[in-house]
Amino acid sequence: MDGAAALPGARFVDPAVLARIGNIDLVAKIIVDGFINGMHRAPFFGASVDFAEHRGYVPGDDVRRIDWRVFARTDRFYVKEYEADTNANFSVLLDVSKSMGFGSRGITKLEYASILTGCLTNLAHRQRDRVGLVTFDDDIVEHVPPSAKHMDTVLHVLDRIEPRKAGRLDVPLRKLAEHFARRGILVVISDFYEEPEAVVEAITPLRFRGNDVMVFHLLDPAEVDFTYTDAMSFEDLETGVQMPIVPDALRKEYKAMVQAHIEALRKRFSETRIDYAFFDTSKPLDYALFSFLTMRERMMRTR
Amino acid sequence: MSLLSPLFLVALAGLAIPVLVHLIQREKKRVVQFPSLMFLQRIPYSSVRRRRVHNWLLLLVRLTALALLVLAFARPFLRRGELPLSAAGSREVVVLLDQSYSMGYGDRWEKARAAARTVVKGLTAGDRASLVLFSSDGTVAVRATQDHAQLLSAIDAARVADGATRFGPALKLAATLLGESTQPRRDAVLISDFQRNGWQGGEPVYLPQGAELRTVPVEETRAQPNAAVVAVSMARSTFAEQERVTVTAGLRNYADTPLTAADVKLELSGRAIQTERVTVPARGSASVSFAPITVNQPQLRASVRLAADGLAQDNVRYFIVAPRSPVPVLVVDASGGAGAGSLYVLRALSIGESPAFAVTVRTPDAVSDDVLGKAAVVVLNDVSLQAGLASRLAAFVGRGGGLLVAAGPRASWPGSQAALLPAALAGAVDRTRGEAARLGAVEYGHPLFELFRAARSGDFSSAQFYGFRQLTPAAGAAVLARFDAGAPALVEQGVGRGHVLLWASSLDLSWNDLALKPVYLPFIHRAVRHLAMYAESTPWETVGQVLDPARLNPREALQPSIALAPSGARAPVGGKDDGVLVLAEQGFYEVRAAKAGAEGVAVAANVDVAESDLDTMDPRALLAAAVASGGVASATPAAPPTPEAQERTQRLWWYLLLAGLLLLGVDTVFSNRLSRA
Repeated sequence: MDGAAALPGARFVDPAVLARIGNIDLVAKIIVDGFINGMHRAPFFGASVDFAEHRGYVPGDDVRRIDWRVFARTDRFYVKEYEADTNANFSVLLDVSKSMGFGSRGITKLEYASILTGCLTNLAHRQRDRVGLVTFDDDIVEHVPPSAKHMDTVLHVLDRIEPRKAGRLDVPLRKLAEHFARRGILVVISDFYEEPEAVVEAITPLRFRGNDVMVFHLLDPAEVDFTYTDAMSFEDLETGVQMPIVPDALRKEYKAMVQAHIEALRKRFSETRIDYAFFDTSKPLDYALFSFLTMRERMMRTR
Repeated sequence: MSLLSPLFLVALAGLAIPVLVHLIQREKKRVVQFPSLMFLQRIPYSSVRRRRVHNWLLLLVRLTALALLVLAFARPFLRRGELPLSAAGSREVVVLLDQSYSMGYGDRWEKARAAARTVVKGLTAGDRASLVLFSSDGTVAVRATQDHAQLLSAIDAARVADGATRFGPALKLAATLLGESTQPRRDAVLISDFQRNGWQGGEPVYLPQGAELRTVPVEETRAQPNAAVVAVSMARSTFAEQERVTVTAGLRNYADTPLTAADVKLELSGRAIQTERVTVPARGSASVSFAPITVNQPQLRASVRLAADGLAQDNVRYFIVAPRSPVPVLVVDASGGAGAGSLYVLRALSIGESPAFAVTVRTPDAVSDDVLGKAAVVVLNDVSLQAGLASRLAAFVGRGGGLLVAAGPRASWPGSQAALLPAALAGAVDRTRGEAARLGAVEYGHPLFELFRAARSGDFSSAQFYGFRQLTPAAGAAVLARFDAGAPALVEQGVGRGHVLLWASSLDLSWNDLALKPVYLPFIHRAVRHLAMYAESTPWETVGQVLDPARLNPREALQPSIALAPSGARAPVGGKDDGVLVLAEQGFYEVRAAKAGAEGVAVAANVDVAESDLDTMDPRALLAAAVASGGVASATPAAPPTPEAQERTQRLWWYLLLAGLLLLGVDTVFSNRLSRA
């Protein structure tokens, strides 16, 4: 699904170059500006205030929402329903565990995820959405509640994040599932180093209160292709366990396992109707943004 | 095989270098951080392990190469005639049979004798064997014989002795017997219960080369109760002017079951006079006190006996109860003790428990033969002596008495008895002007001054002497102390069986202030003890000890002496003058001078209590200590080999070097390939 290439004018900047800029706000603006400029005629953009349907009035509905014109025509009470609120809650759930601090080509997964979060938040903010951010490792680290005024706070938090602890999904996400009571859009960004079952188990509850959940699975190219050649010790970033490895001997099996993992996640998420996108940090950010918007579009259409 | 330069083997420590390099390299090996080993850990580990095995192989090759090089430098060579003694041929066998009293426990002794008989019956016609019975020392019961019947009858005749187990002397005896043998094969068979106390370790036992030591441990079939009387103490008291002794016996139970309601008897002269009932916990101790007994004879034979159990010998403890005997001292003083002259001496002698001194004071005129006969030591405190008393004193000293002469300002000695004095008395030296004299050199090696030998054990140099008599020591006299200028202060001479001490100054304050110094009292005590030849009497001796009959009663000659063993047999007392008695049996020995009507001295002999503890040792400790010595082999030396032959025997290093270098080459190829991989 390399649809980004067809996007006219989109600026495919290498994320490693962007990472050197350091100012997420600026980077996000550059990317999102370019993105919007390139696609402002695209049919996908914005639809948040669109009228959706009428439905019959039931006691308890706000009388102000009754469409009096329809009443005049049909002598029945109908209420106007709209698509998503223009100012939806938009939150990014960002995994800041130690494994996210890995990067083999000048940009770590966390840096990539930060820029991506900045871009997504910027995009949402421009749509007048309320933006928020949650970072977590084995527990919730930072929590910026969604608000129209929190754009700067989100950027500030993003600027400070550091991978500190080993990560796990179940504990922090269960807490968050209870917390996000109001419907909104949740984007989960992580490298998902857990069993697919456990990952889906942890994320599914986020949907229970009616949130739209998008899952971005982020890996480094080295993690996917296992490009190492020399025999050496591999140290687990999270547990510190060391293991002598001859990469040549293991590459084939390893790659197959990672692919199987990704496929399993894709399958299980599609079964639970959660949007899942996988990409590695060598992919330009536009690609991620594009997949985000595509997902949102699809979300609206299928409703 | 031996080595020409074994010192090179030190270089084997170099083997640690590749290992260290290996370890260090392993530490330095590049570590790459990876987000998660989740997938890698699932892959079967074999590919990883194979690499480690490769490395070990490399290490092994390197180590072997290094070891070979080192060995090559150590120059190994084959020694001609280094062939092991052929298994064929007749044997020399030494059977060491433990007869310590612990072997009497249960059926140990029967089993041990059965084992010895088995060894003898296993001998072929050409084999020679010796039988050594040992406890605290070994005796050769049968020496190197081919007569197996004689050996068997000696085994049958052997009895459990009263000694404790000591392996050292027995093994040395075996080594001597084997060393004397010319048989091609030499074996020692040690049959014992292997008590832990029998082997202190440490000393190696050198068996002749090729000799083999075999151990045959024997064990009782069934554990039996085993308690022992391990100690007896005597508390003295005086009641109605009679000395009484309270005997307390210490009991120990070595068994794992408690000893309940056992009878403990106190016997005097063979008759039980009191029985107490006692309970001793398993592996525990207890003590029993008996009612006080009155001591009314010089040597009372007493014993504490416990009811019979698995080990009989340790159930009884023999001891001698003797009344406390103060040392009789006669102080001869011009004033008969009324003046101040003897104040300090008398005060010093009135203090003391072991020994106590029974002091009698007389003027020179009042010294009767009766008084003199009772005294052990006579102190002449600054008296002018008449020839009559002097000659009686000479006789007294000749009988074994002690004489201390304090030569103060009034002292004089009749010229007729000058030989009795160790030094000739001359005029007084006045040191009241100028600096007083001090004691400079003291013979600390002498028994009199031994007490003061250690640092801070008495300072004689603090006493000041304002006057002393000039002494000219006689030939054969020993000067025990000198004044700072070198003049003799204390001279000793042995006369007959007694001793005479001559003190060049006074024993009061008239010429010196020694009496005010802390060393005065111990000095007087030691002098009198020495002159009285006082020895603390021990209530008992231990079986295996050597006893000098002369020590039993120093003042009365027991030499030559006769000793009767507890069994009633006459115990052998060694040579004529230096005859010593080896205590081999448990019970009372009686030693007396070899003349008609001589009074005997009883000596109690007890078994070694350490032997009661039946804990065993691992016989392998003995085997490890019995090393073969290199030089005992009595092979006749062969003609020196030719240089070629010598070179041939030493050529081994050449191959080792080659193999080492070859391995290094393999290592290079191998490691190159490995690093390229």
